[in-house]
Amino acid sequence: MLKVKKLKKKFIRMNSKKQKEEFYADYDISFSAKEGEIVGILGPNGAGKTTLLRMIAGILEPTEGTVDFDGLNYKENEIEIKKRIAYLSGNTKIYNTLSTYELLNMCCDFYDVPMKEREARIREISKTLRMDSFLHNKIEKLSTGQTQKVNIARCMVHNPKYYILDEATSGLDIISSQIILNFIKNEKEKGKIILYSTHYMEEAENICDNVVMVNRGVVIKEGTPENIKKDTKTTNLRDAFFALIGGVRDEE
Amino acid sequence: MKNKISYILRKEIKEMFRDKKSLMMMLVVPIMIPLLIIGMSALFEMQMNRPVTDYNRIGFAYDLGEIEESLAKEFELNFVTGKEEEIKKQYQDGFLDLYITKENSIYTIHGDDKDTTSLASSLVESYFNAYKEHLQEEYLKEHEIESQEVIQMIQLKEDIKETENYFSNYITNYAFLFILMAITVSATYPSTDTTAGEKERGTLETLLTFPIKSKDIIIGKFLSVSFSSVITGIISLVLMVISLMIAGNMFEIYKGVEMMLPLNSLIFSTVVIIAYSLLISGLCIAVASKSKTFKEAQSALTPLTFISFFPGMIAFMVDLESSSFLSLVPFLNYSLLFTDITNGTINYLNIFLMLISTVVVIGLVLGIIIKQYKSEKVLFQ
Repeated sequence: MLKVKKLKKKFIRMNSKKQKEEFYADYDISFSAKEGEIVGILGPNGAGKTTLLRMIAGILEPTEGTVDFDGLNYKENEIEIKKRIAYLSGNTKIYNTLSTYELLNMCCDFYDVPMKEREARIREISKTLRMDSFLHNKIEKLSTGQTQKVNIARCMVHNPKYYILDEATSGLDIISSQIILNFIKNEKEKGKIILYSTHYMEEAENICDNVVMVNRGVVIKEGTPENIKKDTKTTNLRDAFFALIGGVRDEE
Repeated sequence: MKNKISYILRKEIKEMFRDKKSLMMMLVVPIMIPLLIIGMSALFEMQMNRPVTDYNRIGFAYDLGEIEESLAKEFELNFVTGKEEEIKKQYQDGFLDLYITKENSIYTIHGDDKDTTSLASSLVESYFNAYKEHLQEEYLKEHEIESQEVIQMIQLKEDIKETENYFSNYITNYAFLFILMAITVSATYPSTDTTAGEKERGTLETLLTFPIKSKDIIIGKFLSVSFSSVITGIISLVLMVISLMIAGNMFEIYKGVEMMLPLNSLIFSTVVIIAYSLLISGLCIAVASKSKTFKEAQSALTPLTFISFFPGMIAFMVDLESSSFLSLVPFLNYSLLFTDITNGTINYLNIFLMLISTVVVIGLVLGIIIKQYKSEKVLFQ
C-alpha cells in the first residue's frame, strides 16, 4: 500500500524583478493507493504532477510530508523502496549505445535479479512486448514505439510492485500510447499499484480507478471518476476539472 | 545487497568503448608522444650539426691584412670587405650573418639575436682569439721573449665525465610532462560525458531511480574515468619508451647514452601515472558534475587542464628539485618525481608522500561530490 501524507515541495525561482522568491510546487498533497489500483494524477501542465511523482519516486526530496511504501520510508529504506518501484516518464531516456538485451541485463544487475532467473525473465518480457526482432539491436537504431517498449521492459525486469508513470504517453502516436495503456491494464490485473499522471482527461477516465486532481500544487478533488463527475454534475473528467477550477481563465 | 560499483563501472566502460570520441581521446592523444620525441630530437640534431655555410657570411668594414685573410680562410669565413655603409646594407639585406667594424684596436661585432648570428658570433670570436694569439706571439718575438712560456704560463686540462646527456634528459622530462597532459586531456572527455553529458541526455534521471547509492554511482564513474586515464598514461609511457629507443639509435646527439629507462624507473613511472590519473579523474568528475550541460562542463574543465600542466612546466623551467614537502603538493609532485626518475635519483620517501597526498586529495574530492550528489542537487540545481 502507498500512502502519501501532506507532501510539500518548495522551490526557489527568480521573479520578474530578478529577485529570488520561494514557491510551493506542491502543497499538502495526501492520497493513498492500494494493490490492483490505478491512481490517476490529473492536472494541466505546471500543476505539480511531475514534482509530486518525482518525490514519490525518490528523485526529489520533499520539503515536508512523507511517502510510505508498505510501511517503509525513504529516509531509512531508500534502496529497498527503489527495488519495489519502477519510474517511467515521458522524458525518460535510456542508454542508446546499449542493445535492448544489454540494457535489461544491466537493470537486472542494478535490481539484484538472480543470474539464473535473468535469461528466462528477459525472454518472457521480450515475448510479452514482442521485442524479439530487435532484442539485440542498439537502442539508438530503434523507432519511437520500439524505444517505448524497451522503456516498459526496463520497468518490468525486476517485477516491481509499484509503477510511477509520469506523462508516459505524452507525445507518442496512437500505437505507442496503446502499448503503454495495455501494459498498465495488464499490470493492474497482476495486483500492481500504478500511479499514472496525465493531462489527457479522457485517457485517465478510461483506465483509472481513482483520480487525484491537482491544480497549482494543491489537490482540488479526489475520488473515483464516477464520484467526481457526480459531485461536479458533469459527464466527463474534463468538464469536471473546469467546474472545479471555475472555468478557463486567460492566465491558464 | 551486492556492491553496485562494479555494475556502474561495467556500464560506464561499455559506453566509453562504444563512443568514438572517448576512444579517440584515450588512444589518439598518446600518439603525439613519438612525434614530440622524434621531432624534438631531429631539431636538436639539426641545430647541433648545422653546417658552417649556414652562418659563415661575415662582413669586414675594413681591409684585412694577409694574416687576417689567411686566418679567415682557416676558420672557413665566407667574408667580404668594404666600406661600413656598404657592409651594413648587405647585412640588412640578409646577405651577411654579421659584420665587424674597427676603430683603432677596438673591433665591434654587429648583429642581432637570430640563431645564425649567435653561431656566426661564436665563429668570429674563435677567429679573433686566434688572431689575438698571433699578434701576441709577434709582439713577444719582437721583444725577444719566449712566447710559448708566456702564453702557456698556465695550462688547463679538462677531466669532466659526462654523467648525463643534456638532450636525453631534456627530451625525457618533456615527454613525461606530455604524458601528464595526455592523461589530463584523456580524463576531461569521459568525465564530462559521464556526468554533465548523462544529465543532458536525460539518462541520469533514469540512473537515479535505480536502487543504487549515490556513493556507488560516483565511485563507479570515478573508476571508469580513472581507467580511461590510466590506459592513456600507460600507452603514452610505452610509446615514450619505444620512441626514446628509436631516437637513441637514430640521432647522433644521444651517442653513448642508454635511452632505455631501467626497470625500476618504469615501475615508478607507472605508479606516478596511476596516482596522477586517479587524482585528475577525481577532480574532473568533481568539476563536471557541477555543470548542467556538456558545454558548460567543458568550459569549467579548461582551467583545470592548464592548472594541471603549469606547475610541472614551471618546475622544469626553474630547475626545481624534489623534496619531502614538495612531494605533498598536488600536481607539482608528479612532475618533480618524473624529473627524479629521469635523473635516476628516485627517493622512496618522496614517492610514498606523493601517494599519501594523492589519496588524501581524492578522498576529500570524492567525499564532497558524494555529499552533493543527491539526486535533486545533481539533476535540478
